[in-house]
Amino acid sequence: MPAPVRPVALAPATVLATAGPSAWQNDLAPIASSEWNYNFAAHLLERAGFGGTPDEIHALSTMTPAQAVARLVRFEGVDSSRLAPFDESGIHEPGLEPFPPSRPAVTDQAKETGHALGIHVKPAGNRRLQPIVNEFFYWLRASVLETHRVAYWWANRMLTSPRPLEEKIALFWHGHFASNEGKVRDYRKLLQQVQLFQRQGTGNFRSLLLAVAQDPAMLVFLDAGVNVKGASNENFAREIMELFTMGVGHYSEKDIREAARAFTGWNCVDVKFVVNRDQHDEGEKTFLGRTGAFDGGDIINIILDQPATADFIAAKIYRFFVREDLSPQLQAKLGAALRESKYEIAPLLEKIFLSRDFYSPASVGTAIKSPVELAVSTYRKLGLTAIPGVPDFNSVTGALGQQLLSPPTVAGWNSGQSWVTPGLLLERGNFARDVLFPTISFIPLDRYGSPDIRSVADRIRRGMDISEATKPDTKTGDLAESNMAADRDEDFNTRYGSYRGWQMAIERVKAIPRDTARVDLSKMVTAAKLKTTSEAIDYLIARFMRVPPSGEVRQKLVAFLDNELGTADITAAQTYMEDSLRLTLHLIMSQPEYQLA
Amino acid sequence: MSAGLFKFPKASRRDLLRAGMYGVSVSAGSALRMSLFGQAAAAMAAETGSNGKILVVLELSGGNDGLNTLIPYADDAYYKHRPNLGIPRKQVRAIDDHFGFSHGMAGFEKLYQSGKLAIVHGCGYDNPSFSHFTSMAYWHTAAPNSGEPYGWVGRLADAMAPDAPPNFLVDIDSHQSLAVRSKLHVPVVFDDPNRFTREVFAEERAVADAAVPSVKVDNPSQRYLLDIARSARSSSALVREAWAKYRSPVDYGLVSLDLPKVAALIEAGMPTRLYYTSYRNNAFDTHVFQSDVHQRLLTYASDAVSAFLTDLERIGRAGDVVVMVFSEFGRRVPENVNLGTDHGTANLMFVAGKQVKGGHYGKVPSLTDLDAGDNLIFTTDFRRVYATMIASWLGYRGTRDLLHGDFEPFDMFQRKA
Repeated sequence: MPAPVRPVALAPATVLATAGPSAWQNDLAPIASSEWNYNFAAHLLERAGFGGTPDEIHALSTMTPAQAVARLVRFEGVDSSRLAPFDESGIHEPGLEPFPPSRPAVTDQAKETGHALGIHVKPAGNRRLQPIVNEFFYWLRASVLETHRVAYWWANRMLTSPRPLEEKIALFWHGHFASNEGKVRDYRKLLQQVQLFQRQGTGNFRSLLLAVAQDPAMLVFLDAGVNVKGASNENFAREIMELFTMGVGHYSEKDIREAARAFTGWNCVDVKFVVNRDQHDEGEKTFLGRTGAFDGGDIINIILDQPATADFIAAKIYRFFVREDLSPQLQAKLGAALRESKYEIAPLLEKIFLSRDFYSPASVGTAIKSPVELAVSTYRKLGLTAIPGVPDFNSVTGALGQQLLSPPTVAGWNSGQSWVTPGLLLERGNFARDVLFPTISFIPLDRYGSPDIRSVADRIRRGMDISEATKPDTKTGDLAESNMAADRDEDFNTRYGSYRGWQMAIERVKAIPRDTARVDLSKMVTAAKLKTTSEAIDYLIARFMRVPPSGEVRQKLVAFLDNELGTADITAAQTYMEDSLRLTLHLIMSQPEYQLA
Repeated sequence: MSAGLFKFPKASRRDLLRAGMYGVSVSAGSALRMSLFGQAAAAMAAETGSNGKILVVLELSGGNDGLNTLIPYADDAYYKHRPNLGIPRKQVRAIDDHFGFSHGMAGFEKLYQSGKLAIVHGCGYDNPSFSHFTSMAYWHTAAPNSGEPYGWVGRLADAMAPDAPPNFLVDIDSHQSLAVRSKLHVPVVFDDPNRFTREVFAEERAVADAAVPSVKVDNPSQRYLLDIARSARSSSALVREAWAKYRSPVDYGLVSLDLPKVAALIEAGMPTRLYYTSYRNNAFDTHVFQSDVHQRLLTYASDAVSAFLTDLERIGRAGDVVVMVFSEFGRRVPENVNLGTDHGTANLMFVAGKQVKGGHYGKVPSLTDLDAGDNLIFTTDFRRVYATMIASWLGYRGTRDLLHGDFEPFDMFQRKA
């Protein structure tokens, strides 16, 4: 059990418990108002949201536990109208639809029909398909850049929303029903999907599942759009059972094939769901022991009739919000609760957040923060009001293994211990440094271009022709096959297209503001009325960490700050302590324990 | 991973000579090298009684379509199953009168022709799973349907080096693979070597670089993080130094699959015996419009593996390293209507290296006698190939315990260098 965290600013006379007794583990009975305290409120806000400042935690701690949980879970009454809608750059053009699956598909189409992507092939002259190839790469790049802006928009909501659980549950569903930009290649569909998760995240799982099955990003991501009568594609049918509802072991390969038939014809046109009747297989299917002329909606209903589904979903929610290890008995209880509530998510969340189990030592301080949680909670605890542009939120979370709208596969992200490797632990400390001491030579890499693109750009500007400018740098005569294959079609030049498309994308996608974090630790420490460096260290540990470091490390931090300030008297150092406090906070945020929530 | 990271300015003759000499300096041992790597390597040899051989595992994630990788162009059944996706005989890089590589795979063709590539046919297991995640977990643990919590590479590290010396096991990825999950070792997992460092200001160094305190901790997540912190402290400087020194004239192609990083560590004399790397993010999951993208993936993989062996020659360690290539399953024999292929069963594995006896291994599965789901019936348990790596290559004899069963190794390596 972790040692108690002492919130100095709000310290009552006695030391508060950070967790309840061990006997609370697996006990779903609600905790009593008399047991509720500041540390429990901090734990709740950390898990049901992204942590918060001492003031925010204090506000929750003055409520009853039931009120505090309801304040987070039943957020519909909380006014969030000041949150700005996504600010569109306006980069999509009608000619881009339907976007072809690959560059060769675009140029084949152009050669056959004389046009593609809304652009005509030049009747004569050199590189007649070049503008079409440029446009193809333009959209690929523009969608990536705009997706980065969608991620910023979402992260800012996580940081500033008065309804943190609305964003936290959306993040959960984003990992559960994972789709990524790399395959969807259309920020509009991904934005729509995030909004679905925000809107329906704590609602009914049945409605959510049906909405996801008809969601354009998901349809594209799992190839449902090419699942047609007589030739079904099993990708979606498999994942809806394996990853989205029941887990392996509850269905057969035959069930997958039959379900795929039932989903045939479900497709999207641009950003709208459609059912193509002529592509739908009207025939009889036998699925999980039932037979009928099922369509996708029927399949979803049958899946939701399986006890395994509620057990699976309840356990996954529990693992995300509480802890990784979950006994079969507890899983059965949570599954039963979800079935009882007819798949309503909010009552399950309330039950979990109010339970003694949630405040037991097995649950408190034992979650390893995901990269997005790490970044957002760091900013929240610093009291920031906007996600900084430096360091870049997407690069940081991506380097740490969780870039929004880019989960690696349909299975989402591996969580828990998988979030941290030796390399990533160091990287997490480096993130803290980049926030507290932002680099003055920041370059927005998503606009700057890869070395290959920059090399083409430089050579074009120096006046070289396209062929000369796009020759790969050769180091030896032994050129890899992939580099030799790059420029073989005289109708267009792929390398030039990717350079020009990049340039067009930068021109049209709005830039992400690149403000650095406004941090004022001196003010924070002064406001807490601290007298000594020991008190300052304890305050920073309590404010930023859920599990404190060892006494040995704490001593080192105190000695470090003493040495930096030249005194143990904080009041005497008030006018010059900012940099020293930031160094100290960087060291705190580099501790293994800082990764825990 | 962008190839740009690994591109270096055109090498002069002098650079090439210097590069060649790095290989020599490992054994000769410059003062600086001995200071870090020499000591670590010497300690390692003493602890493991090692034969010094290194295994590199390369995972092709997503389920590579083996039939369109090594095309059985002489088998009419292949073209019957694949009227649109079948690669015409004239485009195939024929290696004999029956098989040929996909046309971008100049690298593998070259390796095969020079006798450095073993092709193992029909690799799979009983009651195959068609789920990426489940089947990959089976390959990672070498224990289908068992719930084995540790990876086979991790267990191998535990068995070969139960004292768990640092840096024995390296996994280059953004997250740790189940394959390297070990009871005793903390695998060195990093992605970008340049970022594998704690960036600190001078005045912070004493506190930031201090040893991780050994305190008794009940919180299992906290305990895990403290172990990770210790591992990071012992490996990051070595990895960075190796990468900073690495200068290779070899062209790894557009996607290098982290193999230059492995080469850098080997060149620097890192005491690592087991490396794990992957073509990430389900790249080979080609359900729709597969032909261009699949051909490209194969070109990249083939370029990178072949370049890696060339690089090892330059380094002087080609005789000590093999690369084993696998994917979690093959694809269904008939193409689907979306010009792609769905999840299948048995597949090819490849083993590449100077000491490899090139050629075909295992029985080629029939293209006419398929299972009920139109899939190949496996002929070689994939754990036989693992056993070959463990026993015949690395010289560890306890494959039976390690793999939970008897799997006969192939006779795949030259007797003496």
